[in-house]
This record gives sequence, structure tokens and C-alpha cells, in this order.
Amino acid sequence: MAKKLMKGNEAIAEAAVCVGAINYFAYPITPQSEVAEYLARRLPEVGGVFIQAESEVAVGNMLFGAACSGKRVFTTSSSPGISLMQEAISYMAGAHLPVVIVNIMRGGPGLGGILPAQSDYFQAVKGGGHGDYRLIVLAPSSVQEAVDLTILAFQLADKYRAPVMMIGDGMIGQMMESVEFPAKYQDPPLPPKDWALGGARGRKPQVIKSLFLDPIALEKNNILLAEKYKVIRENEVRYELYKVNNKNRLLLFAYGMMARICQTAIDELETEGISVGLFRPISLFPFPEKEVYREVLKDNIERLLTVEMSMGQMVEDIERCSKGKKPLGFYGRTGGIVPMTEEVKGAVKKELGLVK
Amino acid sequence: MIFFTIPLDNQGHYFNINDGKTRQVLFDYRPFNKVKLKGILKVAAMVSHPMDKHGADFLYPSFSSNTIILVGGFGSGKTEVAVNLTKFLALRNKEQVTIIDLDLVNPYFRSREAKDEMESMGIRVIAPRGGNAYADLPILLPEIRGVVEKREGLIILDVGGDEQGSRALGSLSSAFIEGQYEMIMILNSRRPFTSDVNGSLKTMARIENAGHLKFTGVASNSHMIEETTPDIIMEGLLLANEVSKASGLPIKFLSAKGEVLREMNLITIGVPVLPLVRSMLKPWEKKTGGFRGV
Repeated sequence: MAKKLMKGNEAIAEAAVCVGAINYFAYPITPQSEVAEYLARRLPEVGGVFIQAESEVAVGNMLFGAACSGKRVFTTSSSPGISLMQEAISYMAGAHLPVVIVNIMRGGPGLGGILPAQSDYFQAVKGGGHGDYRLIVLAPSSVQEAVDLTILAFQLADKYRAPVMMIGDGMIGQMMESVEFPAKYQDPPLPPKDWALGGARGRKPQVIKSLFLDPIALEKNNILLAEKYKVIRENEVRYELYKVNNKNRLLLFAYGMMARICQTAIDELETEGISVGLFRPISLFPFPEKEVYREVLKDNIERLLTVEMSMGQMVEDIERCSKGKKPLGFYGRTGGIVPMTEEVKGAVKKELGLVK
Repeated sequence: MIFFTIPLDNQGHYFNINDGKTRQVLFDYRPFNKVKLKGILKVAAMVSHPMDKHGADFLYPSFSSNTIILVGGFGSGKTEVAVNLTKFLALRNKEQVTIIDLDLVNPYFRSREAKDEMESMGIRVIAPRGGNAYADLPILLPEIRGVVEKREGLIILDVGGDEQGSRALGSLSSAFIEGQYEMIMILNSRRPFTSDVNGSLKTMARIENAGHLKFTGVASNSHMIEETTPDIIMEGLLLANEVSKASGLPIKFLSAKGEVLREMNLITIGVPVLPLVRSMLKPWEKKTGGFRGV
């Protein structure tokens, strides 16, 4: 299949179609409305359904209902819209439903603005909804990776019967890059969906719910979820290293588009004789805890620096995983202002005491 | 009003793409490498290099009207073409050049992001200012209709993508007079819905329907941003040819990244060429700037 030029939002939509996820529920919001635009045109071609709900609250509950059928279902939205879905996300996690949710983040809090941000890290990674649940969270840093991770998100959702969230800043959704889709997509081996509700003829009736009034039954469900998250932590860690070597004086931490900017900064710092490496978490849950610690411990690393398009969210996980072994700095911008290469370079130099 | 912008040589020979004849006329031909105006040196140097290498073996775009409407599908590269064409025409014409950012549908990568550079070249930029520049509201500035109706100087309209974007044009359509504007479909064969003739014609029909205006020409702008190759450019030209045949509309020009055009034998292209300098950069491709100061 020839490479195409696509907007991140369109590429995510086409990736979903590619894996047979043709049941899409959404409510438009900048900067991800192109997903709905694209699917409104594309889904009828493949016998799919796009329902524009009356709100994101409705979207969340449509997902719950449709996911019970065992068919692949998904939604996309941006920060305020994702906030409205939190109740249903908690319900779906509690009911063990495979669903894919994409958050193309914009600046907050509140209505904020429409420009790119990474300030929904806490919401995605640490909860957002109520109860003892986790989401598998994936963060692409290019349009091609957004395609690859969308495909992976559907696989992981089915594999673990769990909601999976992909988060990208607005730039990931809006920018255009060349992409390639699998010519003939085939799922890896996945567990059978014998839990799905498709009529009880010939089998015992089954119920999918998150309501357990019996405390023993509710705790049992929590233990089941916790065991599932343990397996996920052991098997689904994903990350990438960029120019990490034994000459690095400082290790940068960034995810998503911010990592791309850090790469340019690293390349330019290299020409100035300053060796810096980048640790890019791809799965934000499970977080690459052991791997971060392993890199932090290396003798040549003097300092750590996290760069985010937020006031500092992932940095708390870096702090947790680095266990205070090396001094950790933070640089971030918000409001849709993207820290540019020069700013990242400046922050690195400041951290290393090369400039005041 | 006719703009002679296709030098075949520095004696004033030009090629009229409408009747295919070569004529000699007097026109203001400025060798680009001698332009020393502040802020445009980079553009000037770029525009001149294909000529330096190939002599005068390709044509620059020309227009028979002073209102040029650029429309296309999402991702066709309209904005990049609009910004480059505006800068190009501003360099070659003494009249006031105005660009109207009519993109009400894209939240990022709009021509307003190149405002400072264009204004430093004396170009009038009409786009929402301040916080409204970063709004996802359909802001149709009241002065736009006035500018279009007055028809002063040269006006370029950068319209949002697809029929959604063209609705803004529809609300302005009564300000345009038939025969006094050119509306050009920017085609990119690497985009999903305009990768073949049928898809392109369908998109064009939808845009005409929403914009209440008829196309007068097509332009080939096949690209994959930084991964553009000569093959992709030629593939786009073939598509533009087929669209041109099927629709009866002329190919007004081919636009592509200057660096890639340099590798090509431009004689084989056979249509006017607009070399592009990228101005819609991704954050990691520029040192500073970003969403500031619009």
C-alpha cells in the first residue's frame, strides 16, 4: 500500500477501520473533530456506524452498551470531552469491557483553549473516574506511531478485556505526516469473546455489570482487576531510548510530541559537545518503572530533566521511579505554548550548570 | 488586469498558457538574486535557484484576474501554496498584495501563522488577531467582504479544506463577479480522498456546491511534506492532467518544494511551476516561535 499523507486524526480513524473497529460514537471537539469528519465519510463504505451523540456523557454510555456485544467500539475526544466520559470509563473498567478511547489533548483546565497540551496525564494515568481501576495508556509521538498504537490499543483491549486510552497532544492530531497501513491486517491470537452478549440461546444467561452490592463479590471484582493490572505491568511496558550512551551527562524524559522536540535539542546539543540522552515512555500505564530506574542508576548520568507541555505531571512518576538517586529538574509550558528546541536546550544547560 | 509573471528569458519573452503562444512584452522583470529588501532575501534566493540551474526553462504561474481563490481538500497544502504564492506575487508586483485567511475549519497550521513574515514584505494579512487567532469559532471578519468587493491590488484567498471549509466562501460568493476571479483546486494525489480522478472530481463538486462558486483551474501540489520525491510530484501532475481533461479546466500551475524541484528536469513538466519554501513547520523543525505572537 502506497504511503499516504494524513493528519494524525484521520490516520487514527483509518487505523481503527483497518482493525475492523467500525462502531464509533463521538461528539465533535477541537482539536480532534477530523476523526469524526473522516469516519462520517469512511464508515458507510465499510458498513460501519458513526453515531454523533448528544454529549460525551452519552458517548461513554453508548460505548458501554455497544462493547457488551463483543464488537470493537471506540471514541475520540479532547480533554473537556474526556472529562465528561469519566463515569462511564470507570463503569467499563469495572465491567471488564474492551473499549478504545483516544484523547487528543488541548490546554486546560476547564474549557482552556484549543492548542496542544499534555496536561491530562494525571487524568489518563492516575484515574479520572472513581474506584480502583487503571487504564492502559499509550502515547504516540508521530502520526505513524499513532496508527500503530491505535491498532495495538484494540488488541490490548481485547486481550485484557479492559479500556485502553491513547493520548496525544493536539499537534499529534493536527499535523500531517506520511503513513502506511498494514496491507492485510490480521489480529494476533486473542482470547475468545465468550463473555459477549449476543443472545442466550443454547447457553446460560450472562450479565455484564459494574454493580456488586454484596461486599464479598465487589472485593472479588477488585482483586480480579488488580491481578489483571499486575499482568499488564509485567507484559506491556513500552518505551524508546534516543542517543542513550555512556557519555550522556543528563537524561531527558519526555513523551509524545515533546519527545520529538527533545530529539532535535539533543542533536543540536551534541554538536556543542553536550551529550544528552532521551527516555521516551510509550506506555504511560504500565509505566516503564524498572527501565527508568535502570537508566537513572548509570554512573555517567549526573542529572535528570523532565520536559512536558504541562506544569509537571509525568515528572511525578519519574520522581517515583528514580527514587531520588539523581537530582531531577522540570521544564514545562502550558496554554498551548510548545517548548521549542532552544528552550529545551536552555533548560538542559541550566540544569547542568552551564548557564545561569 | 493581466499579470505577466512568466518570463522565458530576460528579454521579456513570456509564454501565455491560455493560448499557448509566446509573446514579447515589456514588464517589470527583476532578477531575484538582486532583490535586497529586508526579510525577503530567503524567498528571493529560493525562487531564483531553479532558473539559475535550468535557465529560463520553466514558467511561473500567471493569472488573468486579480482575485485568486485557492481551495482544496484537507491536506492538499493550500496554505503552504497560498503563503508562497502570496510572497511570490508580492515580489513580482508593485500593487498591494493581500492574503485573506479564510480557513475557519483548521485549528492549527493556518496562513495566519506566517503573518509576521508576510507583513514584513508589505503584504496585507487579513486574519483574526489576538486570542481569536487561536479560536475554533467560525470567525468571518467583516472587512473581508469589503476587500473582496473593492478589488484593489491582488487578492489571494486561502480557504479552509473540503466542503466544510468552503462554506465560508459560500457566504461571500455574492461579492465575487464571474470572470473576475480565479478559483483553483489544489490537488494532492497522496491524500486519501483526492488520490484519483473520481475522488478529486467528487471533492471539487462538493466544494463548488458549498462555496457557490465555480472552479476556473486546477493546480498540482502532490507532496508528502519532508518525504516528497520527484516521483510523487510527477504522479500528481498525471492526476492533474486527468482531472483537467475530465473537467475541462486548465492546469494553472504545479507547486512543489524548491529543493526537490532542483533535482528535476523542469522542461518535462510543461506547466507553470511555483517552487515552495515550507513555512508551516512542525515544532521540532523550528528553534523558536510556536503558537505565539499572532
